[in-house]
Amino acid sequence: MPQHDPSSPAAVTAPTVTAGGGALTLEPAGAPRRRRRYTGTRTSPLQALLWLGPALALIVGVVIFPAYELVRAAFSRYSITGLRLGGAGGRNFDQVLHHPELGTVLLNTLVWVVSVVALTVLISLALAQFLTKDFAGRRFVRYAIIVPWAASLVITAKTFVLVYDYYYGTLNLVLTKLHVISTPIDFLGSDSWIMPSMVLVGVFVSIPFTAFVFVAGLNAIPHDVYEAARMDGASSWQVYRSVTLPLLRPALLVASVLNIIYVFNSFPIIWTLNDRNPGFGHDTTITFMYKLAFKSAEKDVGMSAAAGVFNVLLILVVVMAYLKVTSWREETA
Amino acid sequence: MPRRLPLASVGAGVLALALAACGGGTGSDNAGGGSSAGTPAAGASSAGGSAKPTTIKLVAAEYSKDHTAAFWNDFATAYKAKTGNTLDVQVVSWDAIDQTSSTMIQNNNAPDILNLNVYASYAKDGLLYSADDVLSPDVKSDILPAFVKSGTFDGKMYGFPDLSSARAFFYNKDLFTKAGISAPPKTWDEFEADAKKIQALGSGTIGYAMPLGPEEAQGEFSIWAFNNGGDWKSDGKWTINSPANVETLTFMKKLATVDKVTQNNPAKTNRADAFNLFKSGKVGMIVGFSPLAADLDKDGKVNYGVAPMPTKSGEPQTFGVTDYLMAFKKSGNQDAVKAFYDLYYQKDQINTFIKAEGFLPVTTSGLQVFGSDPKLKVYLDTLPNVHLTPTDDPTWDKVKLAVQQNIGAGITGNPKSVLDQLQKTAENGG
Repeated sequence: MPQHDPSSPAAVTAPTVTAGGGALTLEPAGAPRRRRRYTGTRTSPLQALLWLGPALALIVGVVIFPAYELVRAAFSRYSITGLRLGGAGGRNFDQVLHHPELGTVLLNTLVWVVSVVALTVLISLALAQFLTKDFAGRRFVRYAIIVPWAASLVITAKTFVLVYDYYYGTLNLVLTKLHVISTPIDFLGSDSWIMPSMVLVGVFVSIPFTAFVFVAGLNAIPHDVYEAARMDGASSWQVYRSVTLPLLRPALLVASVLNIIYVFNSFPIIWTLNDRNPGFGHDTTITFMYKLAFKSAEKDVGMSAAAGVFNVLLILVVVMAYLKVTSWREETA
Repeated sequence: MPRRLPLASVGAGVLALALAACGGGTGSDNAGGGSSAGTPAAGASSAGGSAKPTTIKLVAAEYSKDHTAAFWNDFATAYKAKTGNTLDVQVVSWDAIDQTSSTMIQNNNAPDILNLNVYASYAKDGLLYSADDVLSPDVKSDILPAFVKSGTFDGKMYGFPDLSSARAFFYNKDLFTKAGISAPPKTWDEFEADAKKIQALGSGTIGYAMPLGPEEAQGEFSIWAFNNGGDWKSDGKWTINSPANVETLTFMKKLATVDKVTQNNPAKTNRADAFNLFKSGKVGMIVGFSPLAADLDKDGKVNYGVAPMPTKSGEPQTFGVTDYLMAFKKSGNQDAVKAFYDLYYQKDQINTFIKAEGFLPVTTSGLQVFGSDPKLKVYLDTLPNVHLTPTDDPTWDKVKLAVQQNIGAGITGNPKSVLDQLQKTAENGG
């Protein structure tokens, strides 16, 4: 999932740079010296703008303008054809909030995000431990784990549709042959199986990124800390709990926050695996938003945009709350 | 996803600028000469003129990977040669075309011609040219009356059919022989009995494949409802929860849950998946159409027959579907659009397209062209009397979506309350 939102890592890791006081205190000392050196050819603001231009244009075009359009659409009334009929005031927001399926969708989103992120982090922790050990074929295993990351999400999801299929699915075939089950399981159509089936795919595609963040985190822990712990007679579990985990905390935070954002915004997995299920019974807020615009009986771009605004606010609040709870700044400052 | 919309709108904006530049160029031209006869709305045509070439944009639905883009590209070449105008072709998959068209219109950048399965909402929003504006009289008179009727909204024709299909009853001859059934069923009782016999063959055999999933649920229900004397609308009123329709959905529920002669979870099976099951030879009966026949012929695996739909009330009814090519009113494009239709409805163009895609004609002259193919006889005979969904009502555009999303619930839940709810949706204007 990480490949979908390249802007996010920068946004989240930025505080570590500015918060690490060193850079800030250097600035005043460096600035005057520079100014003195270039007094003759001082750059005018206009020149600076020229250099900043391309980057600013990109930000305006890709971030600010779309955000403006989204908000404008959320306050507009649209025909089913997509024609803007006029202003709508808060009507679209009201309709989203009173949508009969909103509760189901929010609950689905919660289950989806929490279970995918939690499982991903747990499995990746174990995997990372394993990957930092020296063993024959380690390079091969590392490549194997990266593959799901390299494949397009839609392709992965379509592959899993084939794996899960009721009639031809390999999973049902294997389970029946092994006599685990006597009749096939409807992984994608059954109301109780569809969410676990989607979560499994979500975890599968999130592991590579997370595991490699942890591998990097583990490699950054100095060896002498372990030696000291062992000399004090700590058991391996104690070492892991009192040395590894605390020192891995920055990596854990980064991986969790990024995963929360990616998983929350994940569209292709749910869209592809859930396409045979009518209504909103297994949708998260992201697919809910898409269906509102183009597939459901509402077919209302304005209402979908309003749902989109809610989505942005929701993920902002969730991430802030998470950072607050884990006291991000203290830990990394 | 909305994140993507504004992005598209940036592109659309650039395109709009480019188009505006084009328009400016043609506007300066002498508008008087060469305009084809009988073109009304001189205001629009004067901007475009016809002495200087125009560019118009076609957004077409992808019926097949192999043929759709190939046809339209050839068509664009022929169009350029004949009129001097350029046809900018964009082929979009059915999955994405609603999103594409909606985004284009939202950004004030509608295509000139759009190929879609609905049109009435667009006509209602006042976006479209009517047949009076862009269709030559002899083109219009060639279109089969059933399609003229379905393309007419509020007294004027806005939906110009590009092709049609008629659903027919497909059965697996080998499975029928195995189960000791001599002929395809004619009544619902015979159908039910046959389905049970086939299901009883065991080893994964399925009596009837019933796709009521969101992809095309309205089609599957239409066929059964029409053959029970039911309909979506009659005499201008919505009749979704009529006794006949409730009886129909109840019967379908019985097939799935009491007789258990359908595939697993019919409420959540999409049409494509049901077709795949039939192609695998596991399924005794299914409602299919000519592209399925083409696939089956290509595979050569299943020995199948095609028959009229089993009926509960008198003559078997054929459910037909047609898609539309609609034209958007934009200043300066009227002559080019008209020329587009003049060329498209030429016998050698439209019928080449329809033949390649494996569908059925929409014109009287097309019926003659296709009449020579014995395989298509079973469909062609029924085509003039084909029974369509109420695409001429803008409300249908929303009702269709509601049906796709909800009617499957009638299999797992209560058929009457599901239909009551849909009726309410329709009466509230979608």
